[in-house]
Amino acid sequence: MMYFDNGATTFPKPPSVVRAVNSALQVYGGNPGRGGHRMAVRAGEVIYRCRENAAALFGAENPENIIFTDSCTTALNIVLHGLLQRGDHVVLSSLEHNAVVRPLHYLVKTRGVRLSVAEVAEGDDEQTLQSFRKAINGDTKLVVCTAASNVFGVRLPIERIAALCRIYGILFCVDAAQGAGVVPLRVAASGIDFLCAAGHKGLYGPMGTGILVINSDTLPAPLTQGGTGSLSRSPEQPNELPDKYESGTPNLPGIAGLNAGIRFVSARGEAHLLRTEIQLLRRLYDGLAQMPEVQLYTQPPAAETHVPVLSFNLRGCDCEEVAALLDRRFAIAVRAGLHCAPAAHRAYGTASTGTVRAVVSAYTNLSQINAFLFAVNKITKLLPKKVAIEEQNVVK
Amino acid sequence: MENIITFASVTHAMKARELLRRHRISANLIRTPAKLRRGSCGYSLVIPRQFAQAAALVRDNRLPYRHMFGDDAP
Repeated sequence: MMYFDNGATTFPKPPSVVRAVNSALQVYGGNPGRGGHRMAVRAGEVIYRCRENAAALFGAENPENIIFTDSCTTALNIVLHGLLQRGDHVVLSSLEHNAVVRPLHYLVKTRGVRLSVAEVAEGDDEQTLQSFRKAINGDTKLVVCTAASNVFGVRLPIERIAALCRIYGILFCVDAAQGAGVVPLRVAASGIDFLCAAGHKGLYGPMGTGILVINSDTLPAPLTQGGTGSLSRSPEQPNELPDKYESGTPNLPGIAGLNAGIRFVSARGEAHLLRTEIQLLRRLYDGLAQMPEVQLYTQPPAAETHVPVLSFNLRGCDCEEVAALLDRRFAIAVRAGLHCAPAAHRAYGTASTGTVRAVVSAYTNLSQINAFLFAVNKITKLLPKKVAIEEQNVVK
Repeated sequence: MENIITFASVTHAMKARELLRRHRISANLIRTPAKLRRGSCGYSLVIPRQFAQAAALVRDNRLPYRHMFGDDAP
């Protein structure tokens, strides 16, 4: 199988990740932060190492500023539900995933939160920044936006938006689901208050892992309360980080794997990973651009403006059918549809059709790119005939 | 009495242990002994040597410890 669905989750995982998960399950799998026996202590040490490595990767001041969650979505929910009160105004971008849009929609209905959308102008950071500036008003409490579109790969000028938020004294939350691991994001240096990341995408950890990086004195109310292994006699949830947000037994095998994944990324460097992956994606883009049947939606991908995510369609063909053919006939895995981001599709005029999405990872190589182009070229010859036959049948 | 610093959470105890390691002070992580718990569970560092220096490092770096117990505890 040639795997191009790395936007959903990266595959394969580095061997070090697999070994780390196995060790946690087979060698020292005690409950971290609870007992005092050596297995529990070793488990706690692995989790602490992951906090340290994540803090270094994201430029957080302290390891305790790293909160482990089960997903990027949960991290975003902690920030949005925990911060926003009745009457607050929020600015979001036009490219947001439902992980941002749906909690905000819920808060609009239940707490009267008000929203403004800042349009993203691909390749024109000045214009994008101007959109955010116009959307901010005196009641704006929070700006939340993706580091890069999960559908079209378009990057947002995160550091400049962070600087804008500092000027206006507004909290800033970044959805780094697609950016973490390829876009250097440093919370303290950039002035990002909250950064939410998936552990299983660009950080190469297992599914069921996510990170919330807190770089703010304004702390959201926790979504959950419960046992933390600390201050146990008190009925009050601890106010100290990370315990405030980490009730219940942590996902030790997942976090052990995530730790290995973060080390994999740190050893190579996000900038290097981004450059090499964008080079491959550019080959894919250029090859697709030569096929008249292929519709592309973005400018040619570049490391300064994109992450290695590409959307396309075959004119007149259903994207799900293209994805199914890539899978069945060519053993190529992609994702088709709306990718849980209808707002981004509206922005690019693909809300009614969806797109086929191909995402490159550290494990993608040139021969896979060539195989992908070969497969799409073959499908362009196959599908229109099939569509024509089906249309004939409908007419009959 | 052993030289002990108590912490509310294992994260803070491990952070303190890392700090002490960087200053070549060895510290053993244990569950907080019953007589020192003072109404709560948690983790502690036992520091056999250089306790005064260790205590100063923890204080000066504003690590959130709960209590310090030792012959030369501040």
